[in-house]
Amino acid sequence: MAEARTEPRRPLPEITELTAPFWQAAKEGRLVMQRCLACGALTWCPRPSCVECGSEKLEWEQLSGRGTVYTFTIIRQLAGRGARAFEKDIPYVIAWVDLEEGPRYYTNIVECPVDEVEIGMEVEVVFDPVSDDVSLPKFKPRS
Amino acid sequence: MSIRGNTAIVGIGETPVDRLGRRPGERRRTIPEYLTWAARLAMEDAGLTRKDFDGQGLAAIYTTNYLQPFWPEETASILGITPALSMANANGGAATVSALGQAAAAIQAGLVERVLCVAASCTFVENHNGAEPRDVRDFEVPYGLMGANSGIALVMRRHMHEYGTTLDALGNIAVTARYHASLNPNAYLKKPMTLEDYKTSRLVADPVRLLDCVMPANGGKAFILTAAERAADMPRKPVYLMGFGEQDNPSYGPRTHSDATIMGIRDAGARAFAMAGVTADDMDFAQLYDDYVIIEMMQMEDLGFCEKGDTQYFESTDFSFKGALPIQTGGGMINCGQPSTCGGMIHILESVTQLRGDGGERQVAGARTGLCTGLGGLPYGKNLGSTAVAILSNDNG
Repeated sequence: MAEARTEPRRPLPEITELTAPFWQAAKEGRLVMQRCLACGALTWCPRPSCVECGSEKLEWEQLSGRGTVYTFTIIRQLAGRGARAFEKDIPYVIAWVDLEEGPRYYTNIVECPVDEVEIGMEVEVVFDPVSDDVSLPKFKPRS
Repeated sequence: MSIRGNTAIVGIGETPVDRLGRRPGERRRTIPEYLTWAARLAMEDAGLTRKDFDGQGLAAIYTTNYLQPFWPEETASILGITPALSMANANGGAATVSALGQAAAAIQAGLVERVLCVAASCTFVENHNGAEPRDVRDFEVPYGLMGANSGIALVMRRHMHEYGTTLDALGNIAVTARYHASLNPNAYLKKPMTLEDYKTSRLVADPVRLLDCVMPANGGKAFILTAAERAADMPRKPVYLMGFGEQDNPSYGPRTHSDATIMGIRDAGARAFAMAGVTADDMDFAQLYDDYVIIEMMQMEDLGFCEKGDTQYFESTDFSFKGALPIQTGGGMINCGQPSTCGGMIHILESVTQLRGDGGERQVAGARTGLCTGLGGLPYGKNLGSTAVAILSNDNG
């Protein structure tokens, strides 16, 4: 095919009424989640009600941005639709980071060679500005 | 009022699988063709015709790559039947086992006398053109989510970390399933495989290897369930549904950081065993939903076949059809191909084959009772989101 191969666009989240406070805070360099005013639990991902008790009285709260690696994978091969946007990043690390405050966060581990990432590693949040509106919270080894 | 023993599978149908349509322009079959083919095979097996499904139940399994909001109606239209009850089962790889339990309840309640459950998929071509799912996926996809491989890899590494899970333990499962596939005329991957082949296959989403993964395929599958008292007059030996259990959106610990090494199948299985009045020890075989090898292992742990993390058990147990716990006796989905959400039905069909004594070279001698499972979805920060277990027997006493 003579068609020039264009750089595939990276998928961006849709900013909604519900998620806007999260993305606004991320843009300002803060990691926030919803705290339930009834039972005190944190809810994540953003939800209209508390996943533990069902209360709709939720308030955004800034978190420490610290956590530990619960588990991770090193992506070595493309798979699935829309994957090509990440081709140049391979190998890269996807991790579930358990935050000090509890919730698990799906993220990339950055500023660290892929072979040095390990379960239990202490990490802290950094923000990757991928568009004018979106800064993705990612995590790096804690200094 | 339990559904225990009150319904029986009296017909099964399975088309061959293929991988046509991977290359642009390649001649292939479509979903309606596989659907029609699988339904016809099941009806022939049961000695029934399309007319027998007017005024009866239809369980249409949603296929993830052909989203159609009126899928049960479309399925009925393709088959030329006029159901009196439509079920739309959409919980992914759990959907066919889920449908089995719901169909039994509908028959017992007297809504219908029989239910046709049918599914088909063309994995490579009929991708829906709608928007990608958003909501929580918006908090995964921007980080380079690589399909199910990356999700299961996260679960697998945590399991390996907590329990010292070895490649020998995982490999024993993988090699046994391939051996069974070599004895199954309907399997797709039949070339014998060694433990070394498994251990050295290439990493796709480390620690997930190529030989950990199920392979997409095209195909169709169907089964027919009817009331037990009617099953006695049918041509094939009835296979009774003795126990059923489901657990969806499971959580072990706080919902925002559940223990990812425990599966909802633990509770689904407990419900199914309690209904059937049996335990894991009574199972003559287990047909485990197998999108990935680690998931088979975790199900065996959580269903109570061994302690959690008993690597020694997985390294040393003979899982073959002659062994202590026969699993994946037809090779499983990993070796027979995964036509999207229809793939999971293979475990129901293989259970029926064994309980009829039709297993040929791979027949489990004297098989009387066994279980099959279905799993679907990969929710944020967890393992499988929808889990279902069915216990089947050729004796409903």
